[in-house]
Amino acid sequence: MSLSHSSSAQLTPPSGYWLLRSKHMSLLLDRQAIRRNILLSVALLLIGILSLGVGTLSLSPKEVVLALIGQGDSMTQFVVNELRLNRLLAGIYTGAAFSIAGCLMQTVARNRLATPGIIGIDNAAMAFAVASVVGVGIGLAPSAMALTGAASATALAFIIGGGSGTRGYRFIVAGLAIGSVSAAVSQLLLSQVHIDTANEAYPWTVGSLSARPEEQIPWMGWITLVGMVVSIFLCQRFQLMAFSDSVMTALGRTPNRLRFSAVAISVVLTGFAVALAGPVGLVALVGPEMARTFAKHRGLPLVSSALCGAIVMVLADFAGRTLLSPIEIPVGVVTAVVGGPYLLWILIRKPKRSTL
Amino acid sequence: MHFATSFWQRAPSQRPLVVCFCLVSVLTIGCALLSLLIGAGAVDITESWSTLWGQGNEEAHFVIMELRLPRTLVGLVVGIALGISGALMQAVARNPLAEPGLLGVSAGASFAVAAALILGASAATLAMGVAQLGALAGCFFVMIAARLQGQFKDPVRLVLAGAALTSLLTALTSILLMYDQRAADEIRFWVTGSVAGRHLSNLVTVLPYFAIAAAITLYVSKPLASMALGEKVALGLGHNPRTIRYLVMLAVALFAGSATAIAGPIMFVGLVVPFAARALVGPDIRRTMIMCLPIGPLMIIGADILTRMIAQPAEMPLGVLTAMVGAPVLMLIVRAKRLPTLA
Repeated sequence: MSLSHSSSAQLTPPSGYWLLRSKHMSLLLDRQAIRRNILLSVALLLIGILSLGVGTLSLSPKEVVLALIGQGDSMTQFVVNELRLNRLLAGIYTGAAFSIAGCLMQTVARNRLATPGIIGIDNAAMAFAVASVVGVGIGLAPSAMALTGAASATALAFIIGGGSGTRGYRFIVAGLAIGSVSAAVSQLLLSQVHIDTANEAYPWTVGSLSARPEEQIPWMGWITLVGMVVSIFLCQRFQLMAFSDSVMTALGRTPNRLRFSAVAISVVLTGFAVALAGPVGLVALVGPEMARTFAKHRGLPLVSSALCGAIVMVLADFAGRTLLSPIEIPVGVVTAVVGGPYLLWILIRKPKRSTL
Repeated sequence: MHFATSFWQRAPSQRPLVVCFCLVSVLTIGCALLSLLIGAGAVDITESWSTLWGQGNEEAHFVIMELRLPRTLVGLVVGIALGISGALMQAVARNPLAEPGLLGVSAGASFAVAAALILGASAATLAMGVAQLGALAGCFFVMIAARLQGQFKDPVRLVLAGAALTSLLTALTSILLMYDQRAADEIRFWVTGSVAGRHLSNLVTVLPYFAIAAAITLYVSKPLASMALGEKVALGLGHNPRTIRYLVMLAVALFAGSATAIAGPIMFVGLVVPFAARALVGPDIRRTMIMCLPIGPLMIIGADILTRMIAQPAEMPLGVLTAMVGAPVLMLIVRAKRLPTLA
């Protein structure tokens, strides 16, 4: 998808694109990408309805849909709209946020392994959020603290990794180290508080969608939406980051400013998503990767990444609730079990396309 | 004075090994003494000192002999095991970042222990062999990964693969623990890594494994030094590189598995200790390993003392402290302009 100004009246779109034109603007739409995105949305909808129906009170998809549009008996309506919908929405929002953040970070670092989870942003955000829960330091809300943590970890990773625009693995190892220090700090903080408080915080520290404060969820939705819209507007510029800095400069962009905005969006999305769902960082690796294989997008697959991330998150939560029920596996554990081998496979395979 | 300056001005590989070893050993012994003297209990330093020499009351005697002495001894053994296994692994992978904790060997051992606990063993009666088996599986995974990637030309890739394996195994371990509340309670204090509250009997059970690993290490030290010159040189000198690699992996698994079985997974010790040893006496694997003997315990016991001091009257987990020391060292190694290769 790209926005461009044009003055000439006779323009034929390249094959495989739709061209929307008004007086001042024109919009090129990749037909295949749009078709795939619609497919992905339908899949997300179906999975969502399925997961709404599963629980102690199992409901058929028809009952779920009826309850969602405000019909059906009051019991079903209560269960679906009051109890389960929030969790589903939290999954969709955080999954999309993690995934967009991952997509942007991969583009900036020009390395598809450089997702927020791997370079330690998740863990740092977690450590700060835990500090706020445990009551160390300033009395800021967990989400504000998580944001601070995410921002400082990113800054640190960039400083240690050798400035912005770093390609190699050095950046990632710096992030790995930051991540393990942050994880250690989280553990330290949790070891200082009463055992019940620590146990309560435990699912959150591995990443979980259960028992999140309800009033945070709409906020998360707005933040994800704003992040997505802003990055789609900047998408065309971000795509330039695939080229070298001199090409970017020649095309009239400031490389560092572009990088800064991409990283800033990524950090904000990750920070808030961690505050809500804990460090489920592997979604940021799997989501964009799925989007790239499935949507076959020619540029930066932002919308499909968001959709794929949401699907992964909802599916993981769904699996975590059903596989070993009545025990509930936190969503972070499910994604680690699925994402870990995937990451290994990327690494062990011949490094054919290890950089973007 | 003149001797001291000329000593530090020499290239690391020219420094006399005996002098370095004695200097660090003195430090380590001092640390071990301090570890016996300092603690959260009501026994203060002077009282502990007199108890050490056979005086003092019943209570002080109990605190020192039953609580602090096992802890110090466990620190000693775990430090040696982790330091040597790190040095061996780095030599065989030709990668300064290879370390049992980072590469998932410790995670393999903890997963095996968790599985054994679920299957009915209790932490006290746990057959130690389980942890070593898990560590061995982790080692073989690392070797396969290294093979597939052609010796992992990029040192950092191997670390990433290890991180992925670790996160996978940690997740699997936590699923296992969710099944069983009893196991979870038994293991929760263990998974963060600590040398506190271990019995001497635990130490005795791992000693046979430890002895086998030490024997293997003695046997492979010379071939390993020749392998540092390249596999062809080693072959020409009459050593079979493949056998050596398998033996080293076995030794690493025994060392790391035993250390994990006693103290839980402790990260970064296998990275920091050989790094410090190489900085002191140069890259020769034999000199490095000899220096690992005092430096490993120095790090573990020193860190253990700090964990008792920082969060008084509570204690902080040892694994947390080693991560805080080790992560900056990891950055330091990676930050170097040219990644140091092992000669």
